[in-house]
Amino acid sequence: MSNSRILPEFELLAPKSLDEAIDMAAQYGDRAAVLAGGTDVMIMLQKGAIKSPYIIALGDIAGLDYITYSKGEGLRIGALATAWQVTQDSKIKKNYTALWQAASTLGSPQIRNAATIVGNVLRASPSGDCSCALLALGASVVLKSTAGERVVSLDEFFIDYGTINRTASEIAVELRVPPAAESTRSAFMRMTRMNFDLSKVNAAVCLEMKGRKCTSARIAMGAVAPTTLRIKKAETMLAGATVNDTLLAELAAAVPRQVKPIDDVRSTAEYRRTVSGILVKRVVQAACAA
Amino acid sequence: MKKRSITLYINGEEYSISVDVSDTLNHVIRNQLNLTDLKHCCGRGECGACTVLVEDDRYPTGRKSIDSCMVLAAMMDGKRITTVAGLEKKGKLHPVQEAFVEKGAIQCGFCSTGMIMKSVDILENNPKAKEAEIRAGLEGNICRCTGYTKIVEAVKQAGEVMAAKK
Repeated sequence: MSNSRILPEFELLAPKSLDEAIDMAAQYGDRAAVLAGGTDVMIMLQKGAIKSPYIIALGDIAGLDYITYSKGEGLRIGALATAWQVTQDSKIKKNYTALWQAASTLGSPQIRNAATIVGNVLRASPSGDCSCALLALGASVVLKSTAGERVVSLDEFFIDYGTINRTASEIAVELRVPPAAESTRSAFMRMTRMNFDLSKVNAAVCLEMKGRKCTSARIAMGAVAPTTLRIKKAETMLAGATVNDTLLAELAAAVPRQVKPIDDVRSTAEYRRTVSGILVKRVVQAACAA
Repeated sequence: MKKRSITLYINGEEYSISVDVSDTLNHVIRNQLNLTDLKHCCGRGECGACTVLVEDDRYPTGRKSIDSCMVLAAMMDGKRITTVAGLEKKGKLHPVQEAFVEKGAIQCGFCSTGMIMKSVDILENNPKAKEAEIRAGLEGNICRCTGYTKIVEAVKQAGEVMAAKK
């Protein structure tokens, strides 16, 4: 008896095209789970968190691993594009720094060679690093079904812990991030025990800057609420303000009242609440220094 | 489907087999093909002991390092895969293998095959990799015995040998 047989039994569906995959999603609905890079789904299958009798594996579909960027359309990340691909992309490093930073620390080098960004967002872990960065960057997910296409802003995608704005007959095919302006600055930071671990707390900001004045801000945090969260109070404080030590101190003091962390295996509510303001301050500083 | 017919090219040898779709690449290589130089360890993509190199033309070296426990064998049809047994050339060990032996970088040996595969990957990309780059590259490989010091020394030494050969 071998203990390396670690997955439960399932039926594999391996579509050769996106249309075929969408038809399968319509046919099997919530009896099927979708497999892309596998780095989350394989573990969930082992743990019994996914019990679907059918697995729709996207890996045989050619041309889904694209990352395209243009000044007019912004960034588009295909369903099979991996974290490694993002780390290799100098346009993302420059224009969507928060996402580049989040993808660079996802898991391990081996995991980054397999894990997809779309999959990370669909997993919707509240501590998800890429979800946090993408929420700050104003990204949307494109969901396709036999009924057509829906483009859902991440502001409306993470509904509750374990609940996303996706029906079982939809397949997430792409992430879209709006064009970045010359004045856009973003940054991502996480607190963790060691690189491999999920984040205890993370934060991302996307700022429009005119010199030291911030004209608008989007701030996202993870692991401090049931879902990745926008910190709208802090965004309001930043909008129209000059970023100086006084403002940064005010931000650091205001953020802890905006978060709802819990105790879990990685950290405590008290710790998360205490560091949340400081982390947001540091990530704003990092974005401004860019 | 519950079974899939696939062909794997492992260390240059062709294997045409029928696999259970719920078997990982790791399980198939070890248990179905009896190539046990590849190790099974955490099964969760956390320890790196099962690291293999898989062909991928998007990568500068033409291959990438993955945890073989994290992929379904059924989705690897046609792939060229290297495990540690495929590193030797005509009875001569790879510079990374030689350096691990010389430097005493192997204690219990359980992490070693994955550690060596990942080290090969790091040095093929940059044989002049410095300590920080080596340690960053090995972040996905855990060792409980050595404290990593000798491993890093071995990788540096192997890098020097590989750079000299270029």
